[in-house]
Amino acid sequence: MQIAEWIESEILNGHFHSDQKVYSQYQLAEMYTINPATAAKGLNLLVEENILYKKRGLGMFVTGEAREIILNKRKNQTLKHLVQELVLEARRLQISNDDLFAMLREKMAEEGGK
Amino acid sequence: MSLTTTSLAETVKKQYFYKLKANIDSFSSLVGIQILAILFSLGGISSSGMGGSFVNVNVKYYSPDLVLVFTLIWSFITAVTITTRPYRNHDFSFVTSRLSSSLSNILFLVTASVLGSVTALLSGNLLQMISYLILNEQLYNIGSGAEHMVLGFVVAFLYLMLIGACGYLIGSLIQVSKLFVLLFPILFIGLLFLEGVVTNGFIVSNVYKFYAMESVLFLFVGKTVLTAVALFIAAISILNRLEVRR
Amino acid sequence: MKVIESKGITKNYFRKQVLKELTFSIEENKITGLIGRNGAGKTTLLKIIAGFIRETSGKMNVFSETPFNSLNVSVNSIFVDDQMSFPPALQLGELLNEAARFYPNWDDQLARKLFNYFSFDAKGYHNRLSKGKTSTFNMIIGLASRCPLTIFDEPTTGMDEAVRKDFYRALLKDYIDYPRTIILSSHHLDEIEDLLEDVLLIHNGMILLHMPVSDLKEWAIGVKGASEDVLDFTKEREVLYKNSVGMNTLYVVVKNDFSEEALNKAHQLGLELTPVRSSDLFVYLTTETKGGIDDVFNNN
Repeated sequence: MQIAEWIESEILNGHFHSDQKVYSQYQLAEMYTINPATAAKGLNLLVEENILYKKRGLGMFVTGEAREIILNKRKNQTLKHLVQELVLEARRLQISNDDLFAMLREKMAEEGGK
Repeated sequence: MSLTTTSLAETVKKQYFYKLKANIDSFSSLVGIQILAILFSLGGISSSGMGGSFVNVNVKYYSPDLVLVFTLIWSFITAVTITTRPYRNHDFSFVTSRLSSSLSNILFLVTASVLGSVTALLSGNLLQMISYLILNEQLYNIGSGAEHMVLGFVVAFLYLMLIGACGYLIGSLIQVSKLFVLLFPILFIGLLFLEGVVTNGFIVSNVYKFYAMESVLFLFVGKTVLTAVALFIAAISILNRLEVRR
Repeated sequence: MKVIESKGITKNYFRKQVLKELTFSIEENKITGLIGRNGAGKTTLLKIIAGFIRETSGKMNVFSETPFNSLNVSVNSIFVDDQMSFPPALQLGELLNEAARFYPNWDDQLARKLFNYFSFDAKGYHNRLSKGKTSTFNMIIGLASRCPLTIFDEPTTGMDEAVRKDFYRALLKDYIDYPRTIILSSHHLDEIEDLLEDVLLIHNGMILLHMPVSDLKEWAIGVKGASEDVLDFTKEREVLYKNSVGMNTLYVVVKNDFSEEALNKAHQLGLELTPVRSSDLFVYLTTETKGGIDDVFNNN
């Protein structure tokens, strides 16, 4: 769900702090020209994951542990997935484990040097 | 969003005023057709003459009869026209049921008949005025006065309504099946033909006798109104089953 | 509340069956997309809902009554398409006045603003408008009438890209402010899917799917990989689409009712699993052959 991902990114980027109100389903619907029900589904997904919480009649707010949850989630899911892809691709190209590690180390050193 | 409500009367009223504006062209065609009839009538619709060696008398009758005949034809065509698909679709672009569509059509035909009969009668006066002022004829008025005028109006109106109702029913039947477009002329010509063959008159002359030869005004009004209503009811029940905007 | 309830609706035109026993219902204040190929029966269905034509058999209820000859349905609904016709004697400005008289919820301000935004001339005539302009004008009537049931049948016919986008945005904004039941028919699912809450997919006069758009996006899955692995993974399932890519690679689309486990295993096997775009799924579901147009050119 793109809406959920977008709000997650906004939280990670620090645009929304904990206990701050996020956009309503109608604001999101208008911003993205999408059906409000679709926007609501995105928000509810985040509520289920404890990234947002509902205040009756007031709207949706960012939980205290939102940042952590998102970071964990992205580590566990996104990063894990990327690593899996990396390993699979390395197999296909018949690159040895040592070569793969070497490539990773090299890239990290490059990024770290910046 | 909460539902809104409307009534049949309200819808008919709205449709009626919508149609008055939408069918403005039919009124201009009425004016055109009546002017044409007046021009044809200017020679006098009948004339007789007598003369001796010193005096020569020539009598011409100027009457709006021809104008009325043309107006009757106009009424028929107007009635058939408003049953056609484009006109029906205009109704159904906005709020309507088939019943409100027909009722507003009938109200429109009533309005057209009022206008048609008034203008047809007034054209008689116009005709006499033209013949007096421009053609320099000596004028002798036969049958004038308010009472005569009202009577003429009522009769003309009822004839227009009757023909309009015929047109509306025939138009409705044509909407159900295009075969009627062929059937009606055949039927009409066939009847005229039989009329000539059968000695005592067949349908057409009896129908003519039934309505036109009725000398009691009250009975004439009764006959024409009832017939028109019956024709309209038949048309409404036919149109009520019709699919629209197909 | 159910605004539309259709029970076994069938419609025959002469000998041809255009709609076949359609049973479904549409909830209040949802935007539903009626999606189908040309000739699928979309317009026929919508015209039965609007009360313009009558079903051959079955029972249609709109606002709990039969729409055919119902004034109540007529005043609470509007059917907008490019065939809408208006009296040629009336100018566009006058047509707006007429619409205002007929529809109790009419928003004249919105109508006039849209009218000016799309640079219409109040003294112009409807039958002299271009195809796109006709659709735009009809759309204005449809939006400003604010009918509890608003039906748009292929509303964007002839509109250019910019106007289409404006229309979708205007529709959504007005819907957010004044929620109502909207049916939008189209054969371009990708263009309208973001606007929709539900999708009603019909094909050859029958309902294929009726579900929220978000479910439709996850309804099918694309599997790509070595032919034997793909075939093994998708065996005993109905193949919606099949396409050979390169020498020994196969792309197959099937209904996604796999368990999390099965999907993980497939991934381990090196199969590429991808979501199927709903507009692609629509094409796969409504194409008679599994390979689509490619089958025409395949001789074996």
